[in-house]
Amino acid sequence: MDELSPVRLWLMRAAFTLLALLILLFHLLPIDTQPLTLFTPELLPPLEAIDPAEARLRALLDLETSRMFVGPDLLIAFAFAWSIRRPEYVPALLLALTFLLADLLLQRPPGLWALLALLACENLKGRSRNLRDATFGAEWIAVALLLTGILLANKIVLSILLIPPPQLRLSLLELGVTILIYPVVVFVTSSVMGVRRAAPGELDALGGRA
Amino acid sequence: MARDRSQSSDYTGPLRRLLLAFLVVVLAAVFLLWRIDSPRVERFRAQVTDSLVPNLDWAMAPVTGAVNLMRDFRSYQRLSEQNRELRSELRRMQTWKEAALQLEQENARLLDLNNVRLDPRLTYVTGVVLADSGSPFRQSVLLNVGARDGLVEGWATMDGIGLVGRISGVGQNTARVILLTDANSRIPAVIQPSGQRAIVAGDNSVAPPIDFLENPDLVRPGDRVISSGDGGVFPTGLLIGQIAADPGGRLRVRLAADFERLEFLRVLRHHGTDTVVTQPSVISDDAISASDAAAPIAAATE
Repeated sequence: MDELSPVRLWLMRAAFTLLALLILLFHLLPIDTQPLTLFTPELLPPLEAIDPAEARLRALLDLETSRMFVGPDLLIAFAFAWSIRRPEYVPALLLALTFLLADLLLQRPPGLWALLALLACENLKGRSRNLRDATFGAEWIAVALLLTGILLANKIVLSILLIPPPQLRLSLLELGVTILIYPVVVFVTSSVMGVRRAAPGELDALGGRA
Repeated sequence: MARDRSQSSDYTGPLRRLLLAFLVVVLAAVFLLWRIDSPRVERFRAQVTDSLVPNLDWAMAPVTGAVNLMRDFRSYQRLSEQNRELRSELRRMQTWKEAALQLEQENARLLDLNNVRLDPRLTYVTGVVLADSGSPFRQSVLLNVGARDGLVEGWATMDGIGLVGRISGVGQNTARVILLTDANSRIPAVIQPSGQRAIVAGDNSVAPPIDFLENPDLVRPGDRVISSGDGGVFPTGLLIGQIAADPGGRLRVRLAADFERLEFLRVLRHHGTDTVVTQPSVISDDAISASDAAAPIAAATE
C-alpha cells in the first residue's frame, strides 16, 4: 500500500489503538492475583513444624504458579518506538486518551502518568529527525533516560502531594525490564507491524508530516 | 501536492503545539481534581471499568482459560501421584469430619443448655473474578456483582476458607475487592487464643505483617488470626490466617485463603453491628416499675 495515503495513516492509528487495548486486556486478565513472591521473606517456623496436615494440603493444592517477576510496561515501550519511527501514526490526542484509559483501568492516580508519558513521547517526536540518523544505541539511551526521568518525576510529584508512591524496588525492577525489552519491541514494531522510519527522500516528499 | 502539504505544516505546527498544551492542562487538571475530590473521580473510574471490562469478557475468558490450561499442564504430569496423595488425604479428612460432627452436636447441646443467642447467620452473594488490578503495584480484583446485587462498600469478601479482602468501589455491574495483601488494606483482627487485638496491614507481599499488637509475648507462631469486627464494618470471626514470623522477627500472617487462583468469591452481607446504647435506661424508676410489672406476666406465660 502507498506509505503516504490517508487510508494507511488512519489504518495505522487504529492499529495502535487496538494494540494498546490488547496490552491492557492482557494486563487485566485475572491470572495474577498474588503479590510478587520475589520480595517476600521466608516465614518461620515452617508450616510443616506447626501443622503438618495443612502443609501437606497446601503442597497438594499448590499450582506452582507463584508470580516471580514483574512484566515490562509494554504500552509505553510501544508508544516510544512508534513515536520515534512514525510520529504521525501516534498523534498527541490518541496518546493522551490511551494513557489516561490505562491510568483509569490499572488503578494508578489518573492523569499524572498519562501526562508524563505524553510529554516524553512528544519529546521523542521532536527529536525523531536526529535520532533517525543516529544508531540504535543512541535511541536506546534516549529512551532509557526518558523512562528513568518520568519515573523520578512521577515519584517526586506524588511525594509532594503526599500520595504514597509505588514501591521503589518494584518500580526500578519494572524500569529495568522495560529498558531490556525495548530492542524486542523495536524489532516487532519495524518488522512485524511495518512501522519503519521514513527514508530521507520520502521525508522531503512528506514535508510537514514527519 | 508537496507544496500544499508543506504549507499546511506551517499551520499545523503551532496548532499542534496548542493542542499539546491543551492536553497537558487537561491531564494535569484531571490529576489535581483526583487529588482534591478523590471520591468523585474514583466513582468515574468505577463507571469506566464498569462499562468496559464486562464487555471485554468474551475476549478475556478464553485467554484466561488457555493460560490456566497451560499452567495446569505441569500438574497433569504428576497426576497419578497426586491422585494417590489426595486419596489418603481424603481418608484422613473423613476421620476429622466425624470428629467435627460430634463436636458440633456437643457444642449445640451446651449452647442450648445455657440459652446462648447466636448472631444470625451471614448470607452472601457469590461473584466471579473478572479481572485483577493489572499491575504488580496494586492487589485487587474485579467481581461481576455490583450495586445491582445490593453490594455496599466495605463488605467482607471470602473464598471458601478465609478472608480475602473488602469491597472498595462499587459500579452498577462490578465491584472492586481490595485484597488483604494490598498496601492500602488495614483489617482489625483478634489473635486467638490470647485474644490480643491487632491490625493486619498489607504491604504488597504474600504474608501481610501485624501492626499495633499490644503484647507480642503472648502470641505464638501458629495462633489463629480472625477478624475482630472493630469499627462495625466487618463481621466478627472470619478466619484470616495463622501467625508466623519473618527472619527479622516481625510477626506476619500466613493467609488462609488461596490467593494463587481466585475464581469465585463470596461477598458477605453485613448491615453493621448493633451499637451499645449509652442511655442508662435500666436505672430509671420507670424501667424498674415496668420490669416489675412485666415479670409476673412473663412468669405466668411460662
